[in-house]
Amino acid sequence: MRHRALQTALAFVTLVSTRAVAQDIRSEPVEIREGTARFDASTNLPAIRIHGKSEGLEGRARIRKNPDGLVIERLEATLPVRTLKTGMELRDEHMRKYVFTTPDGRLRDVRFVAERATCPGAVGAHTCKVSGNLFIRDVPRPFTIVLKVSDDGISLRAAGEGIVRLSTYDIAPPSQLGVKTKDDVKLQMDFVVDRVQEQIARETR
Amino acid sequence: MISSRAVALSVTLLSLLAATPRQALALPTMVRLGYSECSACHYSPQGGGPLNLYGRGIDQAQSYRGGEYIPATSNLARILTIGGRTTQELRTVIQEQASVVTGGSVQTRLWPRLAYRNATEIGRGLRVAATITAEGATAIRPTLSYAPLSRAPSVFVNTALLHYRPTKTLEFAAGRDQLPSGVNVPDLGLWTKSRNRLGYYDAPSQLKMFWTGRHVHVAPFAYMPGSNEDSDDGEKGAGTVAEVVVGQDHAVLGMTVVNATAALGDRQMMGGHARLGFGSWGIVAEHDFTKRTQVSAARASFSQSTSYGQLFWAPDDFLVISGIAERLHVEQPFEERLVAGKLEIAARLASQATLGISARIERDQIRRRYSASLMLQAALKTVP
Repeated sequence: MRHRALQTALAFVTLVSTRAVAQDIRSEPVEIREGTARFDASTNLPAIRIHGKSEGLEGRARIRKNPDGLVIERLEATLPVRTLKTGMELRDEHMRKYVFTTPDGRLRDVRFVAERATCPGAVGAHTCKVSGNLFIRDVPRPFTIVLKVSDDGISLRAAGEGIVRLSTYDIAPPSQLGVKTKDDVKLQMDFVVDRVQEQIARETR
Repeated sequence: MISSRAVALSVTLLSLLAATPRQALALPTMVRLGYSECSACHYSPQGGGPLNLYGRGIDQAQSYRGGEYIPATSNLARILTIGGRTTQELRTVIQEQASVVTGGSVQTRLWPRLAYRNATEIGRGLRVAATITAEGATAIRPTLSYAPLSRAPSVFVNTALLHYRPTKTLEFAAGRDQLPSGVNVPDLGLWTKSRNRLGYYDAPSQLKMFWTGRHVHVAPFAYMPGSNEDSDDGEKGAGTVAEVVVGQDHAVLGMTVVNATAALGDRQMMGGHARLGFGSWGIVAEHDFTKRTQVSAARASFSQSTSYGQLFWAPDDFLVISGIAERLHVEQPFEERLVAGKLEIAARLASQATLGISARIERDQIRRRYSASLMLQAALKTVP
């Protein structure tokens, strides 16, 4: 009797773990490429808004499809701060110095980490509310970005925006010659997501 | 190791030595950095005149010298600025031009100008502004029977305005100035300017308003003769410049309408313009169509169209290289068909000094005649 019970328990555990492994296999690793990040900061003067752009956004995640849509897991994206440009050298220096440099003088890249997001939607088009932590100066703060994802069967293209509140990072809005940026900065991202195997295949072709 | 900036500066200076000139300071090109309106850097929402504090910072940052602008804080500076209320500067622009027409000899002209520019905050949203220019020579301008140009005195009051700004986005101005216009390039010799009464000595008395929304700029105006026109040519009228801003402040599309009457003829003008910036390069363009009626003793009616296009590239903050095309068509009985192309390099060496060089070629399509010119321009100014 005890032997049968043990067999049943083992069978159950095996079944559960097999399902879990199968599910994990279905989620595939992807890499972010052609990533563009833009920011738009308004100021105390209506005539002046500060814009910046980087084409250095990169990252990785795992994705899988289920009947309800797309699931994104273990998303990790990095924006190298040195690639972020406003179009004017001095303004770039100010931005790096006043926004991205830690109190001990180190320049830290911006990172976004999210554990899981579900993206309901029809085949080929999904909307994802991705919530995670945005690291600025290595300080994590909750951040949510709403992404619109389109799937052409080969790669995914995602675009969306969120608001970064500087004061939550204890960053004083930069001020220069009477012009002061506002606390809320709009952050926009646009990137292509490639399945890693397809990327390897493309690179070895 | 020679930096790319040093190489760029060397190329510019060699070009200046090897050839000659142009009318630089094409500041609508600032749209490439997302500055979609003049009031970002100038006191006047129309542009021109002294730079505001932030504008002086940008001016220095955009120069070869670069670095931070630090306002003077000495006792003398406090006196000269009346405790920070006044911004005043002296500015000299020296142009040396060599030109030649098919079959003709080379003509040279030196045109030095010295301007005093002032903007003074009175308080409660009130501000006065003035620009007075001493001319070293008269600007060469065509004489048109239907639009005799304003007299060119040796001392000219370009601007004398009282501004009132009740809110951050609304401003009124009354006095004497250039009328609001499309792309607002500072070269007033362009056909889009000189043929639409926006030349060097066109400064009518006027009342204008500037409303600056997030995505819309509107500047309606009404005007009457200034004091330097011929009595028959004193024009009165009204118009509006309206713009929409799209593409994260990197694209401005606008139109201008003017309806005016004068003893020498009436005119109705409609134009469209665009300022587009794409990071280090961009496009500035304008096309205007003017219908003139009841012109001169013959009471003739005819149309005129002017076009301007500028493709610019800023390989560095301080250096702007432009290719410019112009076109002028005037119908009979005053028929003219002109096209022109120009290559221009403008280098801001420091906030006090800008050098420009340009080469221009023009074709008269009716007389089948070419003219070419080279121009060197140096602009020097004091910086408070």
